[in-house]
Amino acid sequence: MKSALFTAGILAATAVAMPAQADKLDDIIASGTLRCAVVLDFPPMGSRDESNNPIGFDVDYCNDLAAALGVSAEIVETTFPERIPSLMSGRVDVAVASTSDTLERAKTVGFSIPYYAFENAVVAREGIEMASWEDMKGKTVGATAGTYEAIWLEGKVKEWGEGQFRPYQNQADVFLALSQGQLDATVATVEVSEANVKSGNFGGIKIVDKAPMVPDYVALITLREEYGLINYMNLFINQQVRTGRYAELYKKWVGEGEPADLTIPGVYR
Amino acid sequence: MFDTALSTNDLIFLAKGAGMTLIVTAISVFFGTILGIIFGVFRYQVGPWWAAPLTFVLDIFRSIPLLIQLVLANAFVTTVLGYRISGFAIACGVLSLYTAAYCAEIVRGGIEAVPQTLRRAARSLGMTWGQDMTSIVLPLATRVALPSWIGLALGVMKDSALVYIVQVVELLKSTQILITRLQEPLFLLMICGLFYFLISFPIARFGGYLEKRWSND
Repeated sequence: MKSALFTAGILAATAVAMPAQADKLDDIIASGTLRCAVVLDFPPMGSRDESNNPIGFDVDYCNDLAAALGVSAEIVETTFPERIPSLMSGRVDVAVASTSDTLERAKTVGFSIPYYAFENAVVAREGIEMASWEDMKGKTVGATAGTYEAIWLEGKVKEWGEGQFRPYQNQADVFLALSQGQLDATVATVEVSEANVKSGNFGGIKIVDKAPMVPDYVALITLREEYGLINYMNLFINQQVRTGRYAELYKKWVGEGEPADLTIPGVYR
Repeated sequence: MFDTALSTNDLIFLAKGAGMTLIVTAISVFFGTILGIIFGVFRYQVGPWWAAPLTFVLDIFRSIPLLIQLVLANAFVTTVLGYRISGFAIACGVLSLYTAAYCAEIVRGGIEAVPQTLRRAARSLGMTWGQDMTSIVLPLATRVALPSWIGLALGVMKDSALVYIVQVVELLKSTQILITRLQEPLFLLMICGLFYFLISFPIARFGGYLEKRWSND
């Protein structure tokens, strides 16, 4: 009796487990297209060129992922708030959209390991003697009021007990003040700093060092239950760094210099 | 006097968007009208009781916002059924049904506007139902329904702006892409409006011309 029940149970379990469920990774390979959500008003990660084709770090990253899978890439333009809904409603397979890996989001979607990290750079006026970020001590520094970097910078000035902190209304004002000599140095994201130095709109400024703030780690996202795909993406990101493609893309879209370290010392994953 | 970063390339890009709007509208209005005529005649012919299920379905298409219909249809086809079909096909499908739902009402209204006595007279002369429908009802109902039908076609053209949600780059979406890149919203929206006008105006005038021609013969 007991064994009959057991056999029946085993049979039922096999019947349930039998259909080899094709997961998203299989679906993508079978369909021949990888649909990536990319935010296209966020240079240098995503934007459009003169003929309105999508370009940017995230676009290239999606193309690389598609090439690795042996499928063609389809860039689906998304806004920041639309990233997760477009995944949930099945309009895209993955989002390559500079998504910060917050624990709150991880309740809804599945994150890969970080594929990029937004760091902050110390930008100084040319002629100011500075070798590292610590040389900001005693200088007149400023940033956009209320931002993460402004709070950090103001804290540092208080900690050092010398120098001066000046808040500004917006990023352009900060760089204007810097290039006009009202400020000796500022802190801004590497991407913004590189773009401002390159654009030539603010003369006489240079990037000195990276600020030792916790970087904003961003990861690829897909549906929470797609472990096969998340696994694949983790290995893919690892390979991108290993083969030097990560550094290559950084150089192409952000600028000279070392791309952010994607590992966190002292902890796994 | 006026400085813009808009290039010829971008104008071609906008024109392509306008072309997409026209194609989506043409397909939807064509199939929507055919379906609408079938549904409208069916509803009139079988009476309110037997047509109730169809009426209900058409009411769904008329009552739910088009944007929601597009998102749900796309999710249903791609994730539930598992078919990978293009956004363009989904857009045309949903818009056709949406058009058909409105068109069915217009057709029914047109048929009802033909006096019963006239139709009875036709049948008394020995005309079959088919002859009555094609020779008596069709010419008279078309005259009644034409203005509403033109209005519907123009409405669908503007509603087609919503198909951007299923990745179809039509006129409004291409304008938005340019706005993001060039940061000249008012100027670009003016050009977009001009494009819509250029497409819609001839249709409106053609409708007016037909009305005038058919009014006194």
